[in-house]
Amino acid sequence: MRLRRGQEPTRRLAHVWNEANCTACGACIIACTATNAPEMMHRKEKGWDSLASNIRRIESQNAQGQPTMMLNQCQHCEDAPCVHTCPFGAVHYTTDGLVDIDERLCIGCSYCVAACPYNVRWMHPETGLPNKCMGSACLELVAANQQPACVQACPANARDFGDLNDPSSSVSQTLRRLPNRVLLETAGTKPKYFIVESSS
Amino acid sequence: MNVADLTLQADVAHWSWTIAIFLWFVGIAGMGSVAYYFSRKAPLAITILVSLIVGLLFVVSHLTRWWNLPVTIFYAVLELSFNFQSWMFWGFAILSVHLVLSAVVVVANIPYLQRFWFLRWAAVLNKSNLFLGLFAFAGFGSTVYSGFLLSTAAGVPLWNTALIPVLWVISASVATVALIELFYVLGWTDEREAAFGLRLGMGLDVMKLLAVLAFIHISLTVGTMGAQIGAARMFSGDLALMTWIGVIGIGIFVPLAIGGLSLLIGKKKPLLIVSSVAALAGVLFLRAVVLLAGVWEPLVI
Ligand code: SF4
Ligand code: SF4
Ligand code: SF4
Repeated sequence: MRLRRGQEPTRRLAHVWNEANCTACGACIIACTATNAPEMMHRKEKGWDSLASNIRRIESQNAQGQPTMMLNQCQHCEDAPCVHTCPFGAVHYTTDGLVDIDERLCIGCSYCVAACPYNVRWMHPETGLPNKCMGSACLELVAANQQPACVQACPANARDFGDLNDPSSSVSQTLRRLPNRVLLETAGTKPKYFIVESSS
Repeated sequence: MNVADLTLQADVAHWSWTIAIFLWFVGIAGMGSVAYYFSRKAPLAITILVSLIVGLLFVVSHLTRWWNLPVTIFYAVLELSFNFQSWMFWGFAILSVHLVLSAVVVVANIPYLQRFWFLRWAAVLNKSNLFLGLFAFAGFGSTVYSGFLLSTAAGVPLWNTALIPVLWVISASVATVALIELFYVLGWTDEREAAFGLRLGMGLDVMKLLAVLAFIHISLTVGTMGAQIGAARMFSGDLALMTWIGVIGIGIFVPLAIGGLSLLIGKKKPLLIVSSVAALAGVLFLRAVVLLAGVWEPLVI
């Protein structure tokens, strides 16, 4: 549900990705597309040159020249530039602490795409909507008290999703126990996509 | 850092030539409206309106859900969901007002339309300094908006500087002066305005050169890594030709050289055409190169 001005979210739903557990199998990436945008299976997002998914795999090298891999997705920022820039208020916070879109209010100006420091949005070639996590099918899973598709698909238990406001949730416990980081912390966006740095 | 890991903004957000042309037309219409306060000529009024309409057609063609505009506006009014924090929203508001005021000015400048009694109020408004001041203000606002549109797009650090609106105002003024010189060649404006435009244009060219170099220098030296990569693409990378030949060579040095020559030997109409077209092209190249050079902040270093 849309968060009204001055209202506090009741939950702070967040994603956790454990990079030490991740085997880079790509199951989450495919599950994400198959669940939320099945019509995009086997189709590339041109800009990213990879499967049109709400999770993007970024490959690089570290200072020692060793290959590195990172999974990137919407961080459900608590101070989200995409919310600040959308002209008619299509992009909004929800009472669950997520960043969602109201399709009726979107004209496809792509300002939210250019405003996202994490480069996680992609324009759907048919609907013209600026897609990102969470897709509508995952939102339905969450509403039904299930885990989103990527968490269910991961064979290595490298992904988790839950409420940061609940100290007993698995994400809260993991983040208390294991070293973790967020991306572009200095950008001031208050991201809620946590990268855990050691094996659980 | 592996630059290949960066995603160029143009590929995902598609903010490239279409938006550059939109920004170019908005700049011409915007600073043209400021010039109209001083030079109240029909060709300028018509150019402003046509530029705004063509610019808006370009930006609407860029919307991936343009057909949803009426629905969006209906629900945004119904639910008061307008986002006053968004420069895009202010752009819609400012450009709408600017468009209406431009139409009034054009109606006032077309003698045929002034035969209709119900349109004569336009001529009355067109004589009012207050109305024309408002028109100039709307034009200036359109130009400034087209700069802040980029400055507040937080994903592309090269654009996140208040230098962009300044650069846009200076370069749009260059384009307006170039138009006035073209009008002189066509016999649509007088010698006095053309002579003033020539000197003003040269001063603006120098300011534009300084502003472009300052933009690149600041981005290269104190910008974040994303801004540095974008500026390096403009300075010495794959977009350097567009910067040095398009923006600076054609857009600044050619008009400056012809301006200097005209001061020495007098105005020659063929040369004025070359200098005006070069200045107008340079303003478009500037917008295009800044848009195309934008990259996101690298997430993996
Ligand atoms: S929560 Fe759903 S939409 Fe988000 S990354 Fe996972 S599968 Fe994709
Ligand atoms: S990661 Fe990007 S799309 Fe997601 S909430 Fe933050 S700014 Fe918006
Ligand atoms: S593309 Fe849609 S959701 Fe994104 S800023 Fe534009 S109107 Fe808002």
